[in-house]
Amino acid sequence: MREEVRNIQDLLRSQAYVSDVAVATSLYLAMALGKPLLIEGPAGVGKTEIAKSLAEALDARMVRLQCYEGLDATTAIYEWNYPKQLLRIKMQEHAAASAAEKEAEIFSEPFLLKRPLLEAITDQTGSPVLLIDEIDRSDEEFEAFLLEILSDFQVTIPEIGPIKATHRPYVVLTSNRSRELSDALRRRCLYLWIDYPSFEKELEIVRAKVPAIGEALSTEVTRMIQAVRKLNLAKTPGVAETLDWASALVVLNASQLDEAVIAETAGCFLKDEADLRKFEAEMSAGRLGI
Amino acid sequence: MIQFCRDLRERGLLATPSEAIDAVATLGLIDLDDREETFLSLRSVLTSRVEDFPVFEEVFESFWSRLGRSPQPRKIVEREGLSTGARLSSPNHGHKGLAFFLEHWGAARARDSEPIKLPGASNTDSDAEKDFSLFRADELEEVARVARRIARRLARVPSRRWEAARRGLRVDLRRTLRQSLKSGGEFIRLSFKRRKQKKTRLVVMCDVSGSMDLYSQVLLQFVYGLQNSFARVETFVFSTKLERTTRHLRDNSYRHALKRLGTNVRGWSGGTLIGLSLAAFNSDWPKLVDKRAVVIILSDGWDTGDPDELGAALADLKRRSGRLIWLNPLLGSRDYQPLVRGMQAALPYIDVFAPLHNLASLRALEKHLIL
Repeated sequence: MREEVRNIQDLLRSQAYVSDVAVATSLYLAMALGKPLLIEGPAGVGKTEIAKSLAEALDARMVRLQCYEGLDATTAIYEWNYPKQLLRIKMQEHAAASAAEKEAEIFSEPFLLKRPLLEAITDQTGSPVLLIDEIDRSDEEFEAFLLEILSDFQVTIPEIGPIKATHRPYVVLTSNRSRELSDALRRRCLYLWIDYPSFEKELEIVRAKVPAIGEALSTEVTRMIQAVRKLNLAKTPGVAETLDWASALVVLNASQLDEAVIAETAGCFLKDEADLRKFEAEMSAGRLGI
Repeated sequence: MIQFCRDLRERGLLATPSEAIDAVATLGLIDLDDREETFLSLRSVLTSRVEDFPVFEEVFESFWSRLGRSPQPRKIVEREGLSTGARLSSPNHGHKGLAFFLEHWGAARARDSEPIKLPGASNTDSDAEKDFSLFRADELEEVARVARRIARRLARVPSRRWEAARRGLRVDLRRTLRQSLKSGGEFIRLSFKRRKQKKTRLVVMCDVSGSMDLYSQVLLQFVYGLQNSFARVETFVFSTKLERTTRHLRDNSYRHALKRLGTNVRGWSGGTLIGLSLAAFNSDWPKLVDKRAVVIILSDGWDTGDPDELGAALADLKRRSGRLIWLNPLLGSRDYQPLVRGMQAALPYIDVFAPLHNLASLRALEKHLIL
């Protein structure tokens, strides 16, 4: 294994992010090749966490762009601070400067509200991690625009001119697959698929993130969640839910899993009434080992 | 490497020359003796969706073993419950594929000029009432064209309502005035409004086994024409397993889309597993269906699988969707009774149970598509 890949694994582990070889390799390549990384997978498996952990590990800033339906291109880059500009105009009404000078002043950086994409490009201290979260919730228009930015990391603000990145950000995109992303975007990015973890991996994650839980309980918790995932639920619990449950058990000082404790805390990993009923049915039928 | 990418491209992956360049660059960055690392790196660069993974692995194995790099093939990577991967790998080769049927559909029917009679086919003469199965190959082309035209007409009904928009034809005076308050009464920014766009999603799942292939063809043509009037249109085909065809039908030229569909969709065998396919849809694509979605299933209900599974899958689907429409061509016949187990299991969950056997039924579908 390449030294750098091992380093990344260690780096992530220092942030209590249990990765596997696939994740570390993809991250390494993304950084080495300078390409964005597209991460897909079911909800709650840690897609966003990768970016966060990476930023912490690299001691870089993380800039997050949360996508939503109707996200506008300009909103993602910048906005002029209109009220401030107006105030300045009023204040300068009787000043001696020429119109051109006044204009240059109100369209300068102090009056510019930077939104995530511009922030990511203009970081002066080093390359930040740009997380574009849930890109599938935006529309195709936004995707096309994003592609342009991801190619040359340059934006143009009409009043100021082109702004080029001093330090190219590391770009991570996540998608929940609620819509088909364009081929152009897929080609532009490296691809990583993160699935629900295996028993061993999930156990490692629980012990790393909730150290107070103890060996026996962490094993029981992981075993239960793995069994729950095999039931055909409407909202299958992800790793985030496992960790919530583990933390809840620690807070409640539980020492082992029994029916009472599970009944109290089932809301941590089951978020749908039909799922809850199905789970209870399976438990009473004795199929879940309790 | 170029050859490798070419092989991948033939199997439908997005591996253009620019990816090949990246792949070559990658080779320089990794430890080539570590087969796992090589595999993972190239997979990250050359695939673009999880469905590509099984194909990539196949091509990778055969390619590198051909080059004699590894004496015996080892299990490459520990698959942590690659849940969707398991479902998508195709164990059956050499069966007549969707590809085959699409290519030869026109040709086969032309050879056999006798109109095909299906049980329950309508007997009236008027074209709108004529069952699709009674048309000859060349006539079916025309039928398909008409279907697309109907769809496009449907598409042009804009909503009467207006909504706020960043740019549009009309200035929204009310919002502009409100916005101007921020800037002391000066109109710095104009707010616009435009006609509200339809936000309904459409998910269509077509049974393409046996005699259903013909009706599915027409429905897919219809849906193709509808693409622009819905916020999102997703299409799937199934027989013993489910395959997503949205990408292929998105093409602007329908001919081109058909050709791509032909080369990319993998094979399927004789019987129909509706329940299994729907269950696969529910678990692999949970986010495609919500309360704003209209789900259409086209099938005759001949399920060779467990009817309880079908019922459960449909219950789940119905609960999450805005409307569940089941189209059954056999309903076109007056004497048809849905006695088949699969159909029986499905009935309680269906909002609209309608036929799809002629052009009249296609037109009738319109009112059900508006939520």
